[in-house]
Amino acid sequence: MTETSNAESSNVKTSSIRRSSSSQRGSRRKKAKKNQIPYGVALFIGLVIIGIFLNLKSEKLALFWVTGISFGFILQRSRFCFTASMRDPYLTGGTSLTRAVLIAFAITTIGFTAIKYGAHVQGLPVPGMSYVVPISFATIIGAILFGIGMVIAGGCASGTLMRVGEGFWMQVLSLVFFVIGSLWGAHDFGWWKYNFISKGKAIFLPDVFGWGGALIIQLALIASLYVFAMKYEESKNQ
Amino acid sequence: MNEHVLDCFGEACPVPLVKAQNKMKEIELDDILVLQIDHSCAMKNIPEWARKEGYNVEVEEIDDGEWEIIIEKNK
Repeated sequence: MTETSNAESSNVKTSSIRRSSSSQRGSRRKKAKKNQIPYGVALFIGLVIIGIFLNLKSEKLALFWVTGISFGFILQRSRFCFTASMRDPYLTGGTSLTRAVLIAFAITTIGFTAIKYGAHVQGLPVPGMSYVVPISFATIIGAILFGIGMVIAGGCASGTLMRVGEGFWMQVLSLVFFVIGSLWGAHDFGWWKYNFISKGKAIFLPDVFGWGGALIIQLALIASLYVFAMKYEESKNQ
Repeated sequence: MNEHVLDCFGEACPVPLVKAQNKMKEIELDDILVLQIDHSCAMKNIPEWARKEGYNVEVEEIDDGEWEIIIEKNK
């Protein structure tokens, strides 16, 4: 990570690799870069104004606006890529993104358990229970289709959106078909639910193992995947 | 010492990485591969892969949102 950013920051003319004279091709297309700071300031002011406007309409909209922008910014700066986290172990043998995703899973596990347990203790309905659905063949088929699609498209949902925001035009195409696919999926979801999904049994881990047990089991599973990822990377580098 | 330029403008990840991997196998020792990319994620995973392989790597931003990754086949 740091190595990459070092190389980026020390970009011009410090190359330790001797390039042949013909290689000045690269420098020839180097033109004076436009200073983007004024655009950035204008954009920031625009974002704040829209945020204030949304807040007048509804506080929830303003919250979505702020979290959405923060999420996109973090994704862009960190180059956090769910597609790469699943693909790179096979392609390059690197598992740094895979492990980053596992850490994110561990943090969300703790956070969601806290939220759900909090509601449970107070006798309130546990939030997010509509997402506890049975595992079925539809899950497996969907996962395989999504996996193929995201590798071809060069990004998952968040990655595609982030890249479109960066101005990578090819992925506008991905975005169009991503929207078409999502609509199609939503249209047919009832059929899948009736024929496949509803035939399974929904399992909510805290019902089976208790709240503490479920938390420990899930974290232990994530930790073992993390160790497996590390060992895998070591063995690939031999 | 030869220099090979691979134009990967407009290619989404992981295409530049796969092309780089194949090209690095082809070229001779001490040759240099210049990979031209405009996909920000390729800027992360290609240097990561190449450093792991033990090659010398440099990244140059040649324009806004366009980079050249220079990889030296030093082994």
